[in-house]
Amino acid sequence: MLVNKFSKSFLAAFVGAAFLVGCGEDEPAVHPKDSDSQAFVSQYKAKEYHPVLIKNATILTATGKKIENGSILFSDGEIVEVGTDVDESGDNLEIIDAQGKWVTPGIIDVHSHLGVYPAPGVESSADGNEMTAPVTADVWAEHSVWPQDPQFQLAIAGGVTAMQILPGSANLVGGRGVTLKNVPGRSVMEMKFPNAPYGLKMACGENPKRVYGGKGQAPMTRMGNVAGYRKAWIDAQEYMEAWDNYEAGMGNGKAPKRDLRLESLAGVLRGEILIQNHCYRADEMAVMMDIAKEFDFKVTTFHHAVESYKIADKLAENEVCSAMWSDWWGFKQEAYDMVPSNVALVDKAGACAVVHSDSATVIQHLNKEAAKAMASGNRLGMDISPAHAIKWITINAAKAIGVEEQTGSLEEGKMADIVLWDGNPFSVYTKAEKVFVDGALMYDRKDATKQPVSDLRLGTSEFNQKTQKGSRL
Amino acid sequence: MKFLVKTIAALLMVAVSFASNAQTILIKNAKVHTQTSAGVLVDTDILIENGLIRTIGEGLTADSALEINAKGKVVTPGIFAVMNQVGLVEIGAIAGTNDAGVEEIDGLGASLSVDEVFNPKSTLIPMNRAGGVTRTLIKPYNGTSLFAGLGSVMDMSGDYDSLIVSDVAVFATYGEYAASLNGGSRAAALRDLEQAFSQANEYLDNAGAVKSGEYRELDYSLSDLATLGRVLDQEIPLVVSVNRANDILTVLDFAKSHELALVLEGAAEGWKVADKISKAGVPVILNPMDNIPSSFESLNKRYENAALLNKAGVRVMFSSETHNAQNVRYAAGNAVAYGLPYDKALAAMTNAPAKVFGGASNYGKLMPGFKAELVVWSGDPLEVTTHAEQVIIDGKVTDMMTRSKRLEQRYKDITNDNNTYYRK
Repeated sequence: MLVNKFSKSFLAAFVGAAFLVGCGEDEPAVHPKDSDSQAFVSQYKAKEYHPVLIKNATILTATGKKIENGSILFSDGEIVEVGTDVDESGDNLEIIDAQGKWVTPGIIDVHSHLGVYPAPGVESSADGNEMTAPVTADVWAEHSVWPQDPQFQLAIAGGVTAMQILPGSANLVGGRGVTLKNVPGRSVMEMKFPNAPYGLKMACGENPKRVYGGKGQAPMTRMGNVAGYRKAWIDAQEYMEAWDNYEAGMGNGKAPKRDLRLESLAGVLRGEILIQNHCYRADEMAVMMDIAKEFDFKVTTFHHAVESYKIADKLAENEVCSAMWSDWWGFKQEAYDMVPSNVALVDKAGACAVVHSDSATVIQHLNKEAAKAMASGNRLGMDISPAHAIKWITINAAKAIGVEEQTGSLEEGKMADIVLWDGNPFSVYTKAEKVFVDGALMYDRKDATKQPVSDLRLGTSEFNQKTQKGSRL
Repeated sequence: MKFLVKTIAALLMVAVSFASNAQTILIKNAKVHTQTSAGVLVDTDILIENGLIRTIGEGLTADSALEINAKGKVVTPGIFAVMNQVGLVEIGAIAGTNDAGVEEIDGLGASLSVDEVFNPKSTLIPMNRAGGVTRTLIKPYNGTSLFAGLGSVMDMSGDYDSLIVSDVAVFATYGEYAASLNGGSRAAALRDLEQAFSQANEYLDNAGAVKSGEYRELDYSLSDLATLGRVLDQEIPLVVSVNRANDILTVLDFAKSHELALVLEGAAEGWKVADKISKAGVPVILNPMDNIPSSFESLNKRYENAALLNKAGVRVMFSSETHNAQNVRYAAGNAVAYGLPYDKALAAMTNAPAKVFGGASNYGKLMPGFKAELVVWSGDPLEVTTHAEQVIIDGKVTDMMTRSKRLEQRYKDITNDNNTYYRK
């Protein structure tokens, strides 16, 4: 099991509490003292909604179970009960008959650039990659997110209820990512997933050495990459010690000057910020795990991990998640050794396997990408069921970004992040019909009033209007 | 164990297949999408002889035929993937392996041909073939010219004689990208298009004088003008990438005024002017997975584009990626999910491109006398959990091995034996 130091520490404080409402003041501490600040904290509030019972559904719980003719009851944002014999009485209870339909947890994408690379893809709103220095741990993706990106609405129509927005991969350390609930917000703070840990984006391999080597500066090689990481962690260790000493009352009593770059890195060393590491090649992942050992931190997840299948045993041993595509390959050298059974082989080795998108198109089809990965494993002689494969885009994804205690599976007490599909979600023909976030209906394919529309679409698109009233082809 | 038996069976099958060139193959009890008026036949046999489909029917027998038991399986014509760079590019970001387009070119670039550039030994070919792609229309991409060059149809046999039809269309672009290449305005792009074709017309009318130097000097190379001349003579179509609705109308007008055979590519907002496209008899190549309003010229992109164009009577084809051209079948499945009839989705990646770009007289339908170029699928070919079990090109069972499968074989048991370097 992958339990990071962060989730252990803050969860202790929140057992049984409602995560859902007004959690802003309960944001986790990030050293040094910016926890005292009320800046950039989550202002997300679950939308109020009446209790719902979905019955007669095929339910994939993402705990490994498939329940036929199952029911799921949720209320006040939380899952109340999942099973075959759920009480149908109750005040104000909306009952949805899901005969022939399937229910899964909300889909979670651990690698997205929605909002930081919004549509339309014009240079003036491309804000995802601070390509100005090899280590930009001081930048935060959330300060680039444009909440009106119409791609958020396309993603919720694909069943996506939460996603980690990462900065791009030009840099050795690209900056902090942010986990969002896929809900409308006038500011990013209104979308911010309460109590989700920050991720720190790092990148191996070709990108940093190309971007900076191309300018004739370090890093120009993979060994230059590694020297750059280690130098940054040495600085971070020193910074953390300075703050520890200050907090322990040592020295002259004067607080060290805050350094935003080192603050993020020190957050990793303290186990409060999770490493989200773009890294394709198996041998490079092994090197990154050694760097983590050297500086006593942990890589939480390797992203784009095209070669994870070559070291799946080592990834399991080190409890590192791999976020992978089902079949992307060949766009660059480090993506040449793709096997379509990568996800299945990582899973089989007992490591945490995740299917991710890194794409505004693929994020809309993660259920089908997981299906492809499942089928590829089964062709190799494995026996992977939808009940198991659903984990790759739900609970394992939640683990990979540190929110697995709150969401990612259909269990009592968890956030009611739920998708009702019009059929088997592992089919190309199946679509998300209703999507609930914290128990509130945030998307309904059959009801245009329950289909969010970004500011951009107003007065520019001619089909939102035409498809209203549920008119379908 | 079960896996092992299957693998051995597959290996044996391949071994048999390469023993003889002119195979007799009998596919038994398949569900057959004929794409003819016969429709879909169940529990049906297909007899293949000398590279051609000999008979389709029930209870067929043949002596010494390679028999493929296709009970519960589906047979369709092989996928004809269009608009990709298979065989032109190995690794996108490595310039030395990438002949997909010319970054900077003097002149129009209309006459650049990909025939000699295509590498039949690219690792992308077994990869796509094992995914059910049997032929492809490859084309260069636009660099700094309005014209990308000529496209050709290749088969996916991996043989040195893969060329099926040479130089089947000229590819060009209009809209935002064209404007960016022409001083930032569509007006200049349109003027340049106009000028290129008017000079091609001049060249057609005065070829002899031009060649002997008795005519004024033209602005473009004679090979480019001769290529555009073929378009003006309606020998080959002009394929134009264009997205915004009024840009589509501009291109329709342009083609009409020059009496060109036109094909639209992209056509993000095609559904808005579907009746006009239909009336012009212009086919459309589109990507049914792309619904992102990724530019101001494609704000009205939507998944229903294929369905709405088809409804208006437009012949629809699907574009495909290069490394995973086979994924066009999932795109087709997505189009069906958003309203396109199943048979049209299947046609969009088989006989529709054959009708537009050549080959329809012997490929794209399963009927006697047609080329035996087909795929046996484990199930519904548009479904994400389905795979190609056997791919037949020119009446021959093809090798299903890929580099990717070799890597899989090498690494699937790392915990038992780490000595992977010696596994072949």
